[in-house]
Amino acid sequence: MTLNTEKRPPLDYDVMIVGAGVAGMEAAASMGDMGYRVLLVEKNASIGGRAILLSKVFPTLDCASCVVTPKMASVSHHPNVQLMTYSEIDGISRKADGSFDVALHRKAAYVDFDACTGCGKCAEICTVTVPDQYNYDLVTRRIAHIPFPQAVPKKSVITRRGEAPCTFTCPGNVKASGYVSLVRAGRYKEAFNLHLENAPLVGSLSRACYAPCESDCTRGEKEGTLHIRGIKRFMADRYYAEHPEPEYGPVENRLDTRVAIVGSGPAGLSAAFYLARQGHQVTIFEAEKEPGGMLRTAIPAYRLPEDVVDRDIKNVTALGVDIKTGYRITSLPELKQQGFNATLIATGASDENGLDIDGHDLEGVMGCMHFLHEVNIGKLPDVKNKIVMVIGGGNSAMDPARAAIRMGAGKVMINYRRGRKEMPAHDWEIEGAADEGVELMLMSAPIRFIGLNGKLVAVECISMELGEPDESGRRRPIPVKGSERVISVDMAILAIGLLPSTAHFPADMKNGKGLLLSDPQTLQTSDPDVFACGDCVTAPTMIINAIAQGRRAAFYMDRHLKGESLNVPFDGVIEKTDKSIVLEEARHFVERQPVQQPMLSIDERRKTFECYEQPMTEAEARQEAQRCMNCGECSQCMECVSVCAPQCIDFAQKPIPLSLNVGTVVMSTGFGILNPATKPLLGYDKFADVISGPQMDRLLAPTRPYNAVLRPSDGKEPESIAFVLCVGSRDHTVCNPLCCRIGCMYSMKQAQLAMGALPMADITIYTIDVRAFGKGYNEFYEQSKSMGIEFVKGKVARIEQLGNGNLALHYEDMLGKGGRNIREHDLVVLTVGFLPNTNALALYKGSELAADDFGYVREIDPISEPTRTNVDGLFVAGTAIGVMDIPDTVLHSGAAAAQAAAYLERMRGR
Amino acid sequence: MSNTPTTRLRDMLDIAQDEMIMRDRIADILEQGPRTIPEISQALGYPTREVTVWLFGMRRYSMVEEIGRADMDGYFQYELKKQSDPA
Ligand SMILES: Cc1cc2nc3c(=O)[nH]c(=O)nc-3n(C[C@H](O)[C@H](O)[C@H](O)COP(=O)(O)OP(=O)(O)OC[C@H]3O[C@@H](n4cnc5c(N)ncnc54)[C@H](O)[C@@H]3O)c2cc1C
Ligand code: SF4
Ligand code: SF4
Ligand code: SF4
Repeated sequence: MTLNTEKRPPLDYDVMIVGAGVAGMEAAASMGDMGYRVLLVEKNASIGGRAILLSKVFPTLDCASCVVTPKMASVSHHPNVQLMTYSEIDGISRKADGSFDVALHRKAAYVDFDACTGCGKCAEICTVTVPDQYNYDLVTRRIAHIPFPQAVPKKSVITRRGEAPCTFTCPGNVKASGYVSLVRAGRYKEAFNLHLENAPLVGSLSRACYAPCESDCTRGEKEGTLHIRGIKRFMADRYYAEHPEPEYGPVENRLDTRVAIVGSGPAGLSAAFYLARQGHQVTIFEAEKEPGGMLRTAIPAYRLPEDVVDRDIKNVTALGVDIKTGYRITSLPELKQQGFNATLIATGASDENGLDIDGHDLEGVMGCMHFLHEVNIGKLPDVKNKIVMVIGGGNSAMDPARAAIRMGAGKVMINYRRGRKEMPAHDWEIEGAADEGVELMLMSAPIRFIGLNGKLVAVECISMELGEPDESGRRRPIPVKGSERVISVDMAILAIGLLPSTAHFPADMKNGKGLLLSDPQTLQTSDPDVFACGDCVTAPTMIINAIAQGRRAAFYMDRHLKGESLNVPFDGVIEKTDKSIVLEEARHFVERQPVQQPMLSIDERRKTFECYEQPMTEAEARQEAQRCMNCGECSQCMECVSVCAPQCIDFAQKPIPLSLNVGTVVMSTGFGILNPATKPLLGYDKFADVISGPQMDRLLAPTRPYNAVLRPSDGKEPESIAFVLCVGSRDHTVCNPLCCRIGCMYSMKQAQLAMGALPMADITIYTIDVRAFGKGYNEFYEQSKSMGIEFVKGKVARIEQLGNGNLALHYEDMLGKGGRNIREHDLVVLTVGFLPNTNALALYKGSELAADDFGYVREIDPISEPTRTNVDGLFVAGTAIGVMDIPDTVLHSGAAAAQAAAYLERMRGR
Repeated sequence: MSNTPTTRLRDMLDIAQDEMIMRDRIADILEQGPRTIPEISQALGYPTREVTVWLFGMRRYSMVEEIGRADMDGYFQYELKKQSDPA
C-alpha cells in the first residue's frame, strides 16, 4: 500500500487509543515506550476498564488491583501518554494522507479536575442517591462521586441529565428539585438558604405562588404532581419558627454606590436583596404606608398572612436596605439629585381598569384592588348579608369573591363573559371559590349599574355567546340580543384588568399601554442609569415573575455600577431534562400517591381569614419529597459546593469539543455484559439472591460493597452457593451462539474465593462442560475439585423460590442417575454471556468499520495480521474483537501496538 | 413445594431514592443498640432486601459499621459509627 506523505501538517498525536481498559492501557504504554505521542481517550471517569473491578484473576489468584493498578499508574505518569478521561469520541474519519481526523468532546464533570483533591466530601454530603454501576447495582452511590477507590484520576464527577422540569419551568429558576432533595434529606435550613439564592421572599411564595413548577412536575404523569409549594411551606414555616430574625447582617464589603428602588413589591424587594448582597447601599421608596406591594395590599390573609410578609421583608432589611414608606416618587431627576447612582423602577401594576358603563360611579361599585386593600388594612367593607357581584374571570376576581364570602356576604357571584373553560383563573382557585359557595355566572356581561339615591341596587346584564377568536386567541364574546335581565346587587367589584402604575414616569420611557420600556435581557431603560422591572414592565403576572425580574435587574445593575459589560448571559440554566427518559427509567417504580395537604373544612373557611391550607407535618413533607424522581440527576441542592474546600465545583462547565489529527487509531473499546433477565426462567429480576457473575466478583473483591460475602436479600452469609454456567452464552434463544471463553474459569475462581471467605459453605458449579484450555487452567480445575467444589454436569432450566426464601434449581442431570432434578441453594450466581460493544463500530464515520458475524470488530486476517481492521491504519485491541482473558488481552494489545507503530513508520516513509 | 412470586423485584433506582429518608429512620433504630438486618427490617417495616441497600449505603459513607463476626444464623450486627469529635 502507498500513502500520500507529501505536505503533511504536524500531527496532534501519533496515535489515539480509544478505551482505557487493560487493552488500551497496555497499547498506550507500549507505544509510549517506543517514543510515540499517545492520546488515550476513556469515556468513563476513570481508566481501568472492567478488570479493575474484579476480585482476583485466574489462574494465579493474584489480586486484580495488584495487576491493574500498576498499569493505570504507568499510563497516567507516562511522559508520552496524554490521558483524556470522561471524554467521548464523536467521529473518526480517515484522510487521504493516511492520518485520521477525530472529533471528540470532554464531558462536563462540573468539577475542576486540576483543583479536585479527591477527598470525597462532595459525595458524602450529596443528597441524591442512585445505584452504583461500578458495583453492578449491588449498592448505591451519590450523584457526586469518585468512581471507585482506586480510580485514576481520583477526581469527583457530577452527572446532570438536564435542568429538572420544576426548576426549569419556574420563572425565577428557584431550584425546586434542590430544596425538595434537601427536605427529603432532612436538611431544612439548607433548603431555605438554597431558596434565598434565587428568591428572598420564601414565605410569601410558599403561601401564594401559583407554583408553575408543579404543573410541569414529571411525577404528574404518574400518580400526581409533587406538591412542591407544600414542601416549601413546611420548610419556610420551620425556618421562620426557628429563626424569627435573619442569621446575617449587612455584608462586610459595603460599596459607596447608592441605588434607589421605586416600589417595595416583590420585584423591588428582590432587587434590593441581591444588590445589597453585592455591597451597594440600597434605599427603597414606597408610596404605601407599609412595604410589600401586592403581597400586602392585594393578597388576602387567608392565602398570605401579614406576619409572613413581615418576616420575608426582614430577609431584605437585615442586609441594611432602607425602606422609606409613604414616599411617592414623582420625578426621576429628583433621585439623581439626591445622589443615587442608579435607579430601579418597580412600581408594579395596581392601577385599575374602569368599566365605562352607566352607573360606574355609584356608591357600591368599586375596583378589586380598592376592595382588597381595604380588607387587608382591616377596614373591612360592610358586605354582611349583602349580594356581591364580582366582574371578571381571572385570579384577581377569585380573591375578592372568596374574601367577601369570609366577610359574611349573603351571596357572592362571579360574572364572566366567556365560559368556564376560558376563565383565566387557575382551576384550583375556581374550584376553591365554588366549594366555598361562590356562584359562577358565565357567558354574561354587565351593561348598566342601576342605583337608587346614588347607591347601587342592581346590575343589568346581557347573555353572551362565543364568536370567532380575537387577537388573544380566545373566542370573542358577542352579546345575545334580547337576553338583557336585571339582577339585584348591593356591591359590584370590578376585576377586569390592572394597569401599570407608571403615571409619573416620562412618556418616552413607556409604550402605548403605559408599560415601561426596558431591555428584555438587562432591564436597562433608555436612560443607562435607570432600570425597570416587574409588573410595570411585563404587565400583571405572578409574584415569582416579579422576583425573577428583580434578581435579573440586580445582576445587570451591579455590573453597570461596577463599570462592567452588560453583554453577558444572566443565569446558567441548562436545557430541560427530557421527561420521557425519566419516565422510562421509572416505569417499574412502586406507586406513591401524593400526600394530601391538610385543609380547613369548608364551613371553617367560610368564616375565617385563617389560612385554609394547613402546613404539612415534617413526616408528611419528607414523604412528599420522597416522591421526587430526581429528574435532572444532580438536584442542584448545592451541598457539594458548600463542603468542597478547594472550591472546585463549577456548574457553569460545558462540554469542551476538540478536533484533532492523529496518525493512527487503536480501538480498545471492550465488551458488554448480557442482562441476565433475558433468561426469565432463571429469575434474575425476581429473586434478590440470584446474582450475576460480575456482581459476585464485586462481592469477593477487597473493595466489596458489603462487609463480607453476603446475600443481597437480607445480608446473611450464604451456606450453599450455586454457580450456573453458560447463562446466555452458546445460546441461540438470546442470539448469542458464542462461548464466553472465560465463564468457566472465572466461576471456578469465584468458587475458590468463596470457599476461602465462607469455609462452611457448600459450593456447586452447574456446567454443561468445563472449558479450561489455557496454560495452568486445567490444573486450576483439578484444584477446584480437590478443594471440595462440586461440579454437576447439568443444564439448569428454571429457578424458583421456596417458602424459606431459599432457591430451588431445576436442572437436567446429565450424569449420575440422569433425568430432572431439584436442588436447594441460598445464593445463585449466573455466569452470564458477553456482548459486543457495538457503539465502537459507529465511531468510524468514513466507510463502514466491518463487524464479524457476532457484532465484534472484525480482524481482516486474524492469523497473519491480527488487530488489523478493514480500515487501513485503524487497529483493534483486546475484547473489542471478542471476549478473552487478561493475559490474552495483554498479548493482543501488544500486537496492536506493533501494527500501529509499523503503520506510522510506513506513513513517515521509513 | 415452591411459591415463586411472579412480580419483579422492586426497582433498584426506586429503592436508592429512598435512602436519604430511610437512613435517618435506620439511625434512629440503631440509636437503641446494634441490630442485624432482619431486626432493622422488622423495626422499620420494610423488606430486608431494601434495608440491605440502605444500610450498605450508610456504611459506605461511614455512618454505620459491623461488629465482629456473623452470629450463628449468619447475620452480622451493625451499629452507628462513632463520629469523630469535630473539636
Ligand atoms: C465477571 C468477570 C470476571 C472476570 N475474571 C477474569 C479473571 O479472573 N481473569 C482474567 O484474566 N480475566 C477476567 N475477566 C476478563 C477481563 O475483565 C477482560 O479480559 C478485560 O477486562 C479486557 O480488557 P479490555 O480493555 O479489552 O476491555 P474493558 O475492560 O471492557 O475496557 C474497555 C474500556 O473502553 C472504554 N470505552 C468503551 N467505548 C468507548 C468509547 N467510545 N470512547 C472511549 N472509551 C470507551 C470503556 O469504558 C472501558 O474502560 C473477567 C470478566 C468478567 C466480566
Ligand atoms: S469535595 Fe471538591 S475536592 Fe473533594 S472530591 Fe469533591 S470536588 Fe474534589
Ligand atoms: S448539587 Fe447536590 S445533588 Fe448535585 S452533586 Fe452537588 S450535592 Fe449532589
Ligand atoms: S419529580 Fe422532582 S425533580 Fe422532577 S419535576 Fe417533579 S419535583 Fe422536579
